[in-house]
Amino acid sequence: MRPYHRNINRFPAALLLVWLCCLLLAGCERRETAPPAEQAETATAYAGTIIAAGDSLTAGQGVAPQDAWPSLLAKKLAKNGLNWQVINAGISGETSSGMVARSKWLLAQRPEIVIVATGANDGLRGIPPQVIRENIAQTVRLLQSGQTTVVLAGMQIVQNLGEDYSREFAAIYPAVAGELQCILIPFLLKEVAGEPSLNQEDTIHPNEKGHQVIAEIVYPYVLQAIQAHPRTVP
Amino acid sequence: MLHLRFIYRQLGKSRQQAFIFILGVALSLLTLTSLGGFSSSVRTSTLRDARQLHAADITVNSHAPISEPLLQAISAYERQGLARAAQVHEFYSMAANRAQEKSILAQLKVVASGYPFYGRVQLASGREFARILNPGSIIVEQAALDRLQARVGDRLQVGAAELTIADVVTSEPDRPVSFFSFGPRIFVSAADLSSLDLIKKGSRIRYSYLLQVQDPDQVDLLADALAEVAAEPQERVRTFRTADSRVKRFFDNFLFFLNLIGIFTLLLAGIGIQTSLYALLRESDYTIAIMKSVGATSRFIIAQFLGMIMLLGAVGTLLGLGASFLLQLSFPALFAGILPANITLSIAWDVVLEGTLLGAMVVALFSLLPLRRSQELRPAFIFRKELDTAPRGLLHAGTLALIVFFFACLVIWQLEDVRLGLSFVLGLCVLLGLTAATSMGLLAVLRNHSPRNLAMRQAGRGLFRPNNATRAITITLSASLSVIFAIFLIDHNLRATFVESYPPDLPNAYFLDIQQEQQADFAAILDQEAEYYPIVKARLLSVNDKAIDQEQERERRRGDNLAREFNLTYRHVLLADEQMVEGRALFAGPGQPEPGPGEVPVSVLDTVADIGKIRMGDLLVFDVQGIPLPARVTSLRTRTDSRIRPFFYFVFPEATLKDAPQTIFAAARVERTRLAGVQNALTDRLPSISVIDIGNTVEVLARIMSRMSAIVQFFTSFSIIAGLLIIISSILATRLARTREAVYFKVLGAKGSFVLRVFAWENLLLGLTCALLAGLLAHAGSWLVCRRIFDIAYRPLPGPTLVMVAATLLLVIGVGLTASLSILHQKPIRFLRDEEQE
Repeated sequence: MRPYHRNINRFPAALLLVWLCCLLLAGCERRETAPPAEQAETATAYAGTIIAAGDSLTAGQGVAPQDAWPSLLAKKLAKNGLNWQVINAGISGETSSGMVARSKWLLAQRPEIVIVATGANDGLRGIPPQVIRENIAQTVRLLQSGQTTVVLAGMQIVQNLGEDYSREFAAIYPAVAGELQCILIPFLLKEVAGEPSLNQEDTIHPNEKGHQVIAEIVYPYVLQAIQAHPRTVP
Repeated sequence: MLHLRFIYRQLGKSRQQAFIFILGVALSLLTLTSLGGFSSSVRTSTLRDARQLHAADITVNSHAPISEPLLQAISAYERQGLARAAQVHEFYSMAANRAQEKSILAQLKVVASGYPFYGRVQLASGREFARILNPGSIIVEQAALDRLQARVGDRLQVGAAELTIADVVTSEPDRPVSFFSFGPRIFVSAADLSSLDLIKKGSRIRYSYLLQVQDPDQVDLLADALAEVAAEPQERVRTFRTADSRVKRFFDNFLFFLNLIGIFTLLLAGIGIQTSLYALLRESDYTIAIMKSVGATSRFIIAQFLGMIMLLGAVGTLLGLGASFLLQLSFPALFAGILPANITLSIAWDVVLEGTLLGAMVVALFSLLPLRRSQELRPAFIFRKELDTAPRGLLHAGTLALIVFFFACLVIWQLEDVRLGLSFVLGLCVLLGLTAATSMGLLAVLRNHSPRNLAMRQAGRGLFRPNNATRAITITLSASLSVIFAIFLIDHNLRATFVESYPPDLPNAYFLDIQQEQQADFAAILDQEAEYYPIVKARLLSVNDKAIDQEQERERRRGDNLAREFNLTYRHVLLADEQMVEGRALFAGPGQPEPGPGEVPVSVLDTVADIGKIRMGDLLVFDVQGIPLPARVTSLRTRTDSRIRPFFYFVFPEATLKDAPQTIFAAARVERTRLAGVQNALTDRLPSISVIDIGNTVEVLARIMSRMSAIVQFFTSFSIIAGLLIIISSILATRLARTREAVYFKVLGAKGSFVLRVFAWENLLLGLTCALLAGLLAHAGSWLVCRRIFDIAYRPLPGPTLVMVAATLLLVIGVGLTASLSILHQKPIRFLRDEEQE
């Protein structure tokens, strides 16, 4: 948040607004990433499109765009001869209800695979697990209706919310994956969460090393999705 | 050597000037001593406010458990009796009322005994926080009770523990500075921390230590030592002084501003002293010349007048000290509710001594030039009255330089910053130079202008009558007025930024993540007026085909950056606080750029346009969650105030973004009593909507800000009094010349009303010239101060400016005419006879 203070000085009265409009909705810091423009321009020879749809963990808040896991995933795929486009559609601060709302928008890009990595912000706000579950299920159903292979990234919530809540929260993902037959990454932040060396100062957003670990975690499930997708040419 | 009778007679002859001189001296002393005393009390009390806002002298924060070296350092301080420490853990957790099957997200604050070291945690029952928060008990916010449908005495499940609600917290000292929360507060005793069983791997906890330092002078020392051993970068050590808060910045600005007012008042009082002394001595010109012709040495004469000045100075000093004493005694009554009730205002003798010394220096400095003039006066003055012998030599320049030097030292001493002080003094010199140049220019224009109306013509001529010192008066008056105007303008700007940003009708609740299809239900639950803003998340890819440099943008230390995610919105009207800067309509109008094929129009806020150097007609390409959206800039908007209201950088027509994924953001002013009910209903029916309650924050900030502002205004009135003195003495200075003129007019057959008209016009001309000039300079100066020093937006405030100019005019004309009335009533023959006798 340090780059911020000068800004507060400049527009002191806009302080709360800045929080609200940027900080809260967009996450806790301004350091975000965007899909590199040049990647989109050279999209001609791609074998298919993968959209990584998620929150700040996907957007790569606090790290450079090329260091966020979707970019690393694309590199790893390319290295293994899979020329797939990976679009980073992470929105910092987004909750699962936001994800529902933009499912159709995602489909408009005709992706073969969508990685759905949402829910963490819901958990941090204490939103009831059944609400999150319903939102995620609806997202998956909408995406599946568009001939898209869905990879659902499992999530766990910080332990301080209490055992009941964290247990119910973690149970959402396997339940939805089982019900709707989609590929499940058991836990997107496995080995990363709670590990100081893999996270930024704020303790919840992964640093560059953390994103490298996430890319490794995601990779086998994406491979599985590529093989499973009817339209793909491996 | 001193000829007391002579001094007494001279004083008797120029009673009014002598009186103004005394007042000038008294005012400078009053300002110096009472402001000195007051600002030290204020410093103490505001610092105490700042302490309260942090509840401690030093705070240590981290998102990881506090490291071992830091823990050891803290416990070493405790052992040595240097400081007391209290550990605080803050985190969110679910709190459940099993009986009602309700659970909410709450913000827990687990505090050790000792918390808070400063300020009070106020409970609804009025009882002592420390005695209520026992192991097994919790203290909760009313909102938690409402939403859990629980009462004091009920048990809540928090983590693995069941705890009893012991009381309701109404305010906590260290909460308001920058607090917003997704859930209500619950205080837990540190003794229960382990039984909650919530701190484990994967928990997100804010670990803090609060320290109270026994010796206030050691705060920085101890904090520095702690910072030495703190684990970078996650552990932050802050003192209540260094903590980067907006309130703290306000305090700094505030004390700085008080000091400035003090210095300005001193300068103005000095000018008043000089003007009145000039006038006083000028009235004695004739006497001096005669004395010189009959053989009195310059040394003798100067000694007499020096004695007179010292006498007047002593009277003024006593008066000033007495007034200051009385004022300080009445501070508690004057500032009831502004100063803490128990603050002790003692007369600090060192401040009195310091003030007296400074006052004497001001008197000496500003007496130099008038005295020098009298010294140079030649006996021939008796015969050649029109001769003004003001010497403009090295000494004159030297004295001016000395005055500048004196104030430069004073400014630097007060600001404790050489560079800032120097640039400040430089600015002041530029101000004076500009005033001199422009007022001389204006006077030259007036001189060559010859209106038809006789009274007006005579008034114009009157300004340039010999010995009238119009130029000197204009420069002095304009410069002083511009300083007062500037103080006024700066004060208003500070108020507008810091106080009026919190009007009572400001939204106190924000609602996030409302889905489009939920809006109707939401409105039904809220059941009152609210502002709704659709939000579409997007990033800016390029401006005029030049890609946004992510790295470079994120390096920006100041202002916003273009690499972040933006909240786009769509609507076809301006918000209440918006204005068009370029283009008449938002998206399409005559002369506005038209979007090409495949492009959509976008209206851009001027602030982001400045950051990104975006101009009308530029092509912006947004990435709306994967889909590129080329947009042509069709208009630029600005915001008319900087209140806490939602604003949007980029506004699109509805058709272009209607189908993009969006959420709705709502802001509303909800009665505090209703808010919990609304939140409950939302949790039940639309649980994905998050509510942020900022009511508390807004209230507390608003209260502090308006307190400070009241104090500033009180001390601004000092400088206004000094300005009044200058106006009065300037007008009195020309009394002799006016009397003569009135007599000649009457001798030539003019009626009293004509003479009155001439004087009124003359005063009007003088007043208008000075007021307009001062207004111009004041705007320039306060713009500079606001932007460069305070770093706040500048509002030109046309209304208050007009009021200031009008008030000046009224004052100058009023004082001028009052001073002239006695002249009008005089019979010409008496004056002529007097002249004859002399």
